[in-house]
Amino acid sequence: MNFEEIEHTADRAFRVRGRDLADLLLNAADGMHALERIHSPGERFALYDLEIEGIDAESLLVNWLNEILFIEQQHQLVCEKFQILELNGFHVRARVETRKCNDYQSGIKAVTFHNLKVRKTAAGLEAEVVVDV
Amino acid sequence: MLSKQHFIRAGDCVWEIPRTFRDDMRVPARLYADEDLLDAALTDNSLTQLVNTATLPGIIGHAIAMPDIHQGYGFPIGGVVATRLPSGVISPGGVGYDINCGVRLLVSAASVEAVSPYLKDLASSIYTNCPSGVGSHGHLHLSTAELDRVLHEGSGWMLETGRASREDLDRTEEFGRIPGADAAFISDRARERGRSQLGTLGAGNHFIEVDKVAEVYDPAVAARLGIYPGNLALQIHCGSRGLGHQVCEDYVSRFQKTVQDYGITLPDRELVCAPFDSKEGQQYFHAMACAANFAFANRQLLTHMIRKSFDQVLAGKITGYQLQQVYDIAHNMAKIEEHQINSHAVRVCVHRKGSTRAFGPGSPVLPSDLCDLGQPVLIPGSMGTASFVLMGTEEAMRQSFGSTCHGAGRVMSRAKAKKIIRGTELREQLNARGILVCAGSMSGLAEEAPQAYKDVSRVVEVVHKLGIATKLARLEPVAVIKG
Repeated sequence: MNFEEIEHTADRAFRVRGRDLADLLLNAADGMHALERIHSPGERFALYDLEIEGIDAESLLVNWLNEILFIEQQHQLVCEKFQILELNGFHVRARVETRKCNDYQSGIKAVTFHNLKVRKTAAGLEAEVVVDV
Repeated sequence: MLSKQHFIRAGDCVWEIPRTFRDDMRVPARLYADEDLLDAALTDNSLTQLVNTATLPGIIGHAIAMPDIHQGYGFPIGGVVATRLPSGVISPGGVGYDINCGVRLLVSAASVEAVSPYLKDLASSIYTNCPSGVGSHGHLHLSTAELDRVLHEGSGWMLETGRASREDLDRTEEFGRIPGADAAFISDRARERGRSQLGTLGAGNHFIEVDKVAEVYDPAVAARLGIYPGNLALQIHCGSRGLGHQVCEDYVSRFQKTVQDYGITLPDRELVCAPFDSKEGQQYFHAMACAANFAFANRQLLTHMIRKSFDQVLAGKITGYQLQQVYDIAHNMAKIEEHQINSHAVRVCVHRKGSTRAFGPGSPVLPSDLCDLGQPVLIPGSMGTASFVLMGTEEAMRQSFGSTCHGAGRVMSRAKAKKIIRGTELREQLNARGILVCAGSMSGLAEEAPQAYKDVSRVVEVVHKLGIATKLARLEPVAVIKG
């Protein structure tokens, strides 16, 4: 697994790894979904094109995850099958497939910057993300 | 990592971390706790987070933590930070994502015994009338103009539209409207998230709880507030929903660059901030006030829907069931207040994140009928345990910028709670104790199990002993409605 939940007293947190920044973004989306309470997604819905930027890797990661949360919560959807179309510095364009989820119960309110640091490791990149619930 | 040896005992239940503990601290940090609660606080990173807040530019007095302190993000939950105005900072992370998360207490002249044959129907009706869950949508669909009025007027708009009484507003912090709101500083996305969520409960630790007044410690004061032993009470715990989350998200993200522009160095990026008198600081304050007003209006609309449920279920069956408001109080907010520091009146921005305003008798901001009593303080316990009504004190004005605790405080992670507790079993256990539970998610219920929290009675004893709030009444739950 490229992500795992880690202990946090009041909120939720996960550690995520990736070969590079694009891989880290994709795995972080999966890691966040693993914390959510998503019940049986329904039929396929629209394709969404995302365009996100940050001032550094950490802000790009937070903005990316918050964008996914927004689409899901606002439209009662589950995002799946992400495709990174372009990653230029800290600016990413991506496409995502979605499914309807009428009983969407994310449990996550927002993704935080708390102690967030995208670190280089021997295998690529790693970060610990705390989400507010 | 902090340990007990880093603390100086500054008094009974007062522990201090001196400014010399870390080079970047601008003031000492203070924890109000007994020894066991100090030990509990040392089990997570909350005290390091407290020390981090002592580095904020413009902080005065102490970085303060209440006995219900636990680990949050950026600020600890249970923290109080006051910064000197005009140039001290305001920090969106010091308010949190759920801006003006708070508690409202309503009481009835009917006894729980009289209502109990109808309790199941009542809980069921409230569950239907008050949508819950993170992304839930309410019954009210606001136009852009109506949403703007909610953001600017808070509960005032509810009064105008027949969903509140003047008495409700009088018994709400700031009379249900924070001054300084300007919807021009609210993003389109925040509007979009909030538009359909007015009158919804949300998820996490938010709840509606029907209680019995189990004990009254000061009958004369309690009677002035309509609180009598054996009678029904009802608490609403929720905040500004997706609109508030988005305001916090927008400004935490924007301030990542702002701190660089102002040359502010911080130990944690979630603490990002801006000088209060800067353009950016003012913009956040205007937006935060809008979200706070949305939260007041949200709790007011929930109150309106709950009153409808009471009418639907109890009308013609029992008398005196109507609900009157005791108080409505925020526990995630930044407020502009004047406090006496070294005998001088100083304007400060008080960040209360997981702590409650507790103004004492004589405070000019209280309604005239509460002026001689002080402000009611509402301390919900964990699910299935007692809650407390306290009263604000002059001592709180001296010690803690007019602040006190806000709840029990977690000790167990949500992940661990879900591993060791089954929601269905917990519901059965609570039912066996005579507590009815309506919940949308069994895993969400497990996360909020009483074992995951500190003993609220112990937390309350500490603030009572310190005199930063005094005990008025104890409530015991009879029905819990959760997302």
